[in-house]
Amino acid sequence: MSKRDGVTRRSVLLSAGAAAGVLGIGGSNVLQSLSDDSEINDVERFLQENTVVHGYCSPNCRGHCPLDIHVRDGQIRKVEPAIPDREEFRRACTLGQTHLHRTYNPNRLKYPMKRSDWSPENPNPQGRGPDAEFERIEWSEALDYVAGEMDRIREEYSPESVYFELGSGGSGINGTVYSRLANLFGGTMMSWSIDINVGLGFRRITGAGYFNTPTNMRTDIKNADTILIWGGNVFRSRLNPDARFLLDAIEGGTKIVGIDPVYNQTTAKSDLWLPVKPGKDIHLVMGMIHTVLEEDLEDTEFLRERTLAPALVRTDTGALLKTGDVFPDGDDETPVAYDADAGQAVALEPETYGEYALRGTFEFGGHEVRTALTELEETASDYAPEDIEETIGVDADNVRQAVRWLATRGPGGVMTGLGVDRYVYGHVFGQAYAILLALTGDYGRSGCVTGGRFAGSGYRSDYGAVEGSPGTRRMQQKGILSALQGDADPPLKMMYTQSSNFVANQLPDRQQWIDSLSNLDLVAVADIHHTPTVQHADIVLPASHWTEREDITGAGEHPHAMYREPVHDPLWESKSDHWMIAELADRLGYGEHFERDRTTLLRKILEGEDRFTFEEIREKGTIHLETDEIIFTDEFNTPSGRLEIYDEDAPSEKGVSLELPVPLEDRTADDHELADEYPLLFMQGHSKWRIHSQWAENPMMREINPEPRIDINPQDAKERGIEDGEYVRVYNDRGEMIVKAKYNDAYRPGHVNTDQGWWGEHYIAGHHNNLTHTDVSETIENFAFYDTRVEIEPAPEDLDTSKYDDPTETDWIDQLQHGGDTA
Amino acid sequence: MTNYGMVIDQERCIGCHSCAVACKDENNVSMGQAWNRILTTGGENIDTPAGEYPVDGGDGTLSMQYQPTACQHCENAPCVKVCPVNATYTREDGIVEIDYDKCMGCRYCMAACPYNARVFNYDKPETTAPKGTGNVEQRERGVVEKCTFCSHRLDEGLDPACTIACPSSARIFGDLDDPDSAVSRYVKQYETTQLLEDLETDPNTYYIRGEMSPGRNHLGNEMESELDEPPKRRNAEPGVPATDGGEEQ
Repeated sequence: MSKRDGVTRRSVLLSAGAAAGVLGIGGSNVLQSLSDDSEINDVERFLQENTVVHGYCSPNCRGHCPLDIHVRDGQIRKVEPAIPDREEFRRACTLGQTHLHRTYNPNRLKYPMKRSDWSPENPNPQGRGPDAEFERIEWSEALDYVAGEMDRIREEYSPESVYFELGSGGSGINGTVYSRLANLFGGTMMSWSIDINVGLGFRRITGAGYFNTPTNMRTDIKNADTILIWGGNVFRSRLNPDARFLLDAIEGGTKIVGIDPVYNQTTAKSDLWLPVKPGKDIHLVMGMIHTVLEEDLEDTEFLRERTLAPALVRTDTGALLKTGDVFPDGDDETPVAYDADAGQAVALEPETYGEYALRGTFEFGGHEVRTALTELEETASDYAPEDIEETIGVDADNVRQAVRWLATRGPGGVMTGLGVDRYVYGHVFGQAYAILLALTGDYGRSGCVTGGRFAGSGYRSDYGAVEGSPGTRRMQQKGILSALQGDADPPLKMMYTQSSNFVANQLPDRQQWIDSLSNLDLVAVADIHHTPTVQHADIVLPASHWTEREDITGAGEHPHAMYREPVHDPLWESKSDHWMIAELADRLGYGEHFERDRTTLLRKILEGEDRFTFEEIREKGTIHLETDEIIFTDEFNTPSGRLEIYDEDAPSEKGVSLELPVPLEDRTADDHELADEYPLLFMQGHSKWRIHSQWAENPMMREINPEPRIDINPQDAKERGIEDGEYVRVYNDRGEMIVKAKYNDAYRPGHVNTDQGWWGEHYIAGHHNNLTHTDVSETIENFAFYDTRVEIEPAPEDLDTSKYDDPTETDWIDQLQHGGDTA
Repeated sequence: MTNYGMVIDQERCIGCHSCAVACKDENNVSMGQAWNRILTTGGENIDTPAGEYPVDGGDGTLSMQYQPTACQHCENAPCVKVCPVNATYTREDGIVEIDYDKCMGCRYCMAACPYNARVFNYDKPETTAPKGTGNVEQRERGVVEKCTFCSHRLDEGLDPACTIACPSSARIFGDLDDPDSAVSRYVKQYETTQLLEDLETDPNTYYIRGEMSPGRNHLGNEMESELDEPPKRRNAEPGVPATDGGEEQ
């Protein structure tokens, strides 16, 4: 009865709460689209009144989790992991379940804005940055400015002088439509210089891999008997939304070996932890390769049938012996093996077993040759676990134990994170571990784990660039930096950025990127939230949140296509990126190539899909697409069709030719020239509180994780007179940051970490990317964020730390820069 | 009789806080408050281990686990005993609940609770969404609040929000009085502990440490008792005993 009595009172409270909600703080009319509180909630019937809308999450974590968005009175009330078409893939992480807080975030961009001191005639680039002031303008005005500058720069310079920067903050059709315009216009676009290191190294051996390395579907993890989880805290990142797949394997008896310099959620659940020193991963794989061969643990049948292990290598040139070197009718492509049964050289065809000699030195056609396996064995002979113990920081017996489990317990493999990717020579690790798994025969079977990118699928579409489009000039991000700095012909003169917080936050040696913007006449940024990059914009284009867009996407790492229904109209004056692009296309004379109606466009994009209809996916939300659970079952996509454990077309690094893997290091080398001055290696791990720089202003996360910190071993801290929780200055020859020290015994002495993704304004001073650098290897332009050295000292006394000193827990939200504020 | 209880498998918990954020949204919990906190069992700071880094290269002795902590729904609840106005009471189904209309904000219960599971609305509640979140009315300033096992969801036959949100299937909810329920079977089969057992509060929340359990046994939102036949998440292989805690063992 007291419950019933309370209804009226509490209902009143609820509606009163609307006016007094957090969003109201700051004076801007943030409730414009939310202020209809005339409806009294019947609190007794909350659950029945809910409608549930199909949604999905789409940052660049590759999770793409299907979500149930619960809506009442036109507002999101909560978000829950949805049960997809294939039920066992129900999944969502902490972040995906907080979309309410992203949608109704005070940091949303609300109106189109122009930097007050920017004009086409006088762009005043020096006015960009933390002190920039913005004024609200009309959409038509904002789009006229952007299109006008695109037109002018095309005439004055070249279409390629317009940089279309597409970031990773919104998988859906926005990227498709954006690229369509960029291709019609003939602008410049970027190719990634992030997360491609290990994948491209692995590709040399297996013919597959780009962004990380491919592996069987998650449902197959349970069939592995041993998994080496290498360079990735997977329970914090890639297996966070569906941790149950790996947990079920552990519960079922799979042996887990955690290989990581850091003790973490994943190593805590491992049977064995190898605390490898940062940057010594390649040494460790070589130690494992040595162990396999020394202890005769290799899968000889697999090596003969599916790898180049028996291929003969000429000792004079280092090239593979070809059938043309031996047989009159041979060619210069097919490798040769020695058939021990037949006592003669034979062509080595893909997917073919023979009694090929795996080891030995022979002479054919006047050439001295040795098998590739013998070459490998010799190269690895310098890396006996006992001999490299001190170098890698791992007990030799434990290395051997891990190898024995991997090679003898049954199928298994290496599950890669993206940690090793972030060292300059990470690609050699990709090459090396691909060879290790070739030796143990862990490809193409159920239970094999060949990497970190799990099999999944997407929808089929013929919708892309318009036929006859001039296409774009492509540059890797490292090249984009040079072009922004003026070192390109034609130069870059403006950028139109969509779903990207790259230039002011996410790229290494951040100050260089920010400085380079001074060469641009216009920086236009389309985003959902007021990111640090928005603060460097001249024209700000407020994009609708994912929950406000009708959309479709493939799942990537699970076997579904997914549909998203908008919860309500875009808040404030925000618009979908698709709408903005169509408006720009109109102004640029490409209007005929762009659909205006969103649903019509989605139907058109799915015209090439014959497995389901638009109506079906709209009704069900998710459609299961039949996808191979097991990969690498057929001939490898390599020149020989085999795993090329000896790569005759190998690149060189530092004058070392990499037919076989050779441990190489940059700044992590113990004797590196910077080692004395900057003795600490600086990692920036992916946290569970953000996906890159997204969710950075999410109140749910910031309550738990309020400010950036640096993880430091207490021993390192004490040597420097640093207390736990004290502010410190982290610095090197490029820059600095001021953060709180966090004593953390999970980190090896000499190794420190600040999670990546924090925004500039979250720091007392500086930024983690003021410390990182843009040096890349000769072979692969992949930024090496973790290959960074720093030194740490107590912070200066006169520091203004007021932004975090206020003890009240939620007051920080008041201090957020409101997206629509113009001052 | 029904006696609701929860088993939390700490061997499965990955410390992601999904249960904590789902709890806040479901229950319209104000910013700055938490009914469900994920504590680190390890070092002094969140997400840090106890012990020292194995610089000798061995496997070492570092240890870290997570302990999700909300109201333990004690059978012998100290909070119920101290409440001077009977605002805190134990329902027939074992849930310790608060009548917010009776609560006068004296906070004796907060002092009595050894698990620090209760929060007090010193200020007007505030949420990111102006009309609040989730499926429960917001509590006003001046009352104590805490986990209810999502009793409003149980009325609908649904498991608590934290249980649905968990990507590790580490939370198992059900009827401790039903010997065949997963919670009863897990309490019996696995090494479970109640928090602060020596205080004899006899919580209805049990923690698994030691051997990992198969976790929650289905993926739907329904409570186990709503299912005609509770499915086994993993089919037992021939010759291998079932590992879901069933009679086979």
